[in-house]
Amino acid sequence: MRLTPGAGRDIDLDSVDLFDLDLYTSGDPHPIWDVMREKAPLHHQVLPDGREFWSVTRYEDVCRVLGDHREFTSERGTVPTHLGTDDVAAGVLLTSTDPPRHTEVRRPLGSKLTARAVKSWEDSIRGTVTRFLQPALDGETFDLAEKALLLPAMVTGPLLGIPAKDWEELVQLTAMVTAPSDPHFLQGSEAATLAISHHELVTYVKDWVKERRASGGEDDSLLQHLMSVRPGGEALSDEEIALDGYSILLGANVTTPHTVSGTVHALIERPEQFAKAQADPTLIPNLVEEGLRWTSAACNFMRYAVDDVEIAGGTIPARGAVVAWIGSANRDSAQFTDPHDFDITRSNAKRQVAFGYGPHFCIGAPLTRLTLRVFFEELLQRFGSIDLAGEPEHLRSYFIAGMTHLPIVAEKRLTP
Amino acid sequence: MNSSPQVVHQLGGLDETSEAQVAAGGTQVPLAQQIAELWAEHLNASEVGTDDDFFALGGNSLTGIKIIDRVAQDYGVQLSVRDFYLAQTPARVAELIEQGRAVA
Repeated sequence: MRLTPGAGRDIDLDSVDLFDLDLYTSGDPHPIWDVMREKAPLHHQVLPDGREFWSVTRYEDVCRVLGDHREFTSERGTVPTHLGTDDVAAGVLLTSTDPPRHTEVRRPLGSKLTARAVKSWEDSIRGTVTRFLQPALDGETFDLAEKALLLPAMVTGPLLGIPAKDWEELVQLTAMVTAPSDPHFLQGSEAATLAISHHELVTYVKDWVKERRASGGEDDSLLQHLMSVRPGGEALSDEEIALDGYSILLGANVTTPHTVSGTVHALIERPEQFAKAQADPTLIPNLVEEGLRWTSAACNFMRYAVDDVEIAGGTIPARGAVVAWIGSANRDSAQFTDPHDFDITRSNAKRQVAFGYGPHFCIGAPLTRLTLRVFFEELLQRFGSIDLAGEPEHLRSYFIAGMTHLPIVAEKRLTP
Repeated sequence: MNSSPQVVHQLGGLDETSEAQVAAGGTQVPLAQQIAELWAEHLNASEVGTDDDFFALGGNSLTGIKIIDRVAQDYGVQLSVRDFYLAQTPARVAELIEQGRAVA
């Protein structure tokens, strides 16, 4: 989807289709969300097949829906692609589990992923990022969006315990999960694409665990850690390990690439911001926060109302699905002044909710922040200028806001 | 995501004769019918037709994993994950099993 909105236009909220994939491939959702925040902060839509959902778009309402599991449960599914079908992995898959079980399992997993814990990975990440960026400086066109799809696997592969030979296949599978109808990833039908990718990812982790058990080998990897934690005094079941491993693979692979390419695109469009960051590298951590706010790669998450609930001036009925639009919350002018300006010096950029909010706040956030900081440090140190070398193409998904192609040409920076 | 059963174009090589073949246990139940019964068991459906659509019946990857395991166990054929979900009906899954046996 376009991250810099086009000119404002008349929008009829009654006929808006938020699940229209063309809106995200070639359209412009931000002007629609702007009107929704102002005029219909609780919006109701019925799909042609009868399924219905409510939407919240304001910052505070998005935080409330994501943050309060008593009112809004995750246990019937959290991804709008599955609207109307209760999650078969409820209570097993961590993202589809409410506290207290969620807290119990998450705590030991999170201990491996705190800012302090991931700090020891910085040198290895810097090496990976340097290798990743090198080919972009040979003077040829470099498709950043396409290449960046592999970056999270390059960074997290060793941490997870996944050998390099498997990265490309896993990246392809995780991309299928998030954009099953994008022509880059579609296999047969959308339903078949989802099932194939879920199946193969879960099986991959199951086989990994089986092999590890058989060989008796142990290492310091995150998947190994999943096998050894004992939340509530008991080891995770094989199904829990497989599904949580799947979830970690997915979370790492499908969001970070789009924040990388979307933020670089914003810098290409705004050479003055690029120059500012290059002149003062201490701005880079804030550039990262602004890039996260700007790109909001996880565009939304879904919850189900437990009981009738009053929110945003209306009522969501018990068992109703509600989509919390993170991409919109991060452009709420009540929270961010001139929200559609990309400003690397924005004072409260860190209040962005790109990682979500509340109990399900992204477990990989510290690792992502570290990776993005290192990425932009290396990019700004090595690249004198970056230009577009073709039209960006956007991902066909209402769940993940991203790009499939961003052709760039870069020039080496002469005097660092 | 559409919930109506789909008519699926037949793959090359598929013909009606596969339905009439004698199944593993020597019973006369056609293979496609046996697969339909296996699906019914895993999908909690009272009845599944040989041309019913897996996804329209509420099938997902977790049921798919169980069904593919059962097929491997009962028929000695390891179905490819992709082929299974793209086949989408018991009749066509039966055809995949026949092909798997022919190769083996």
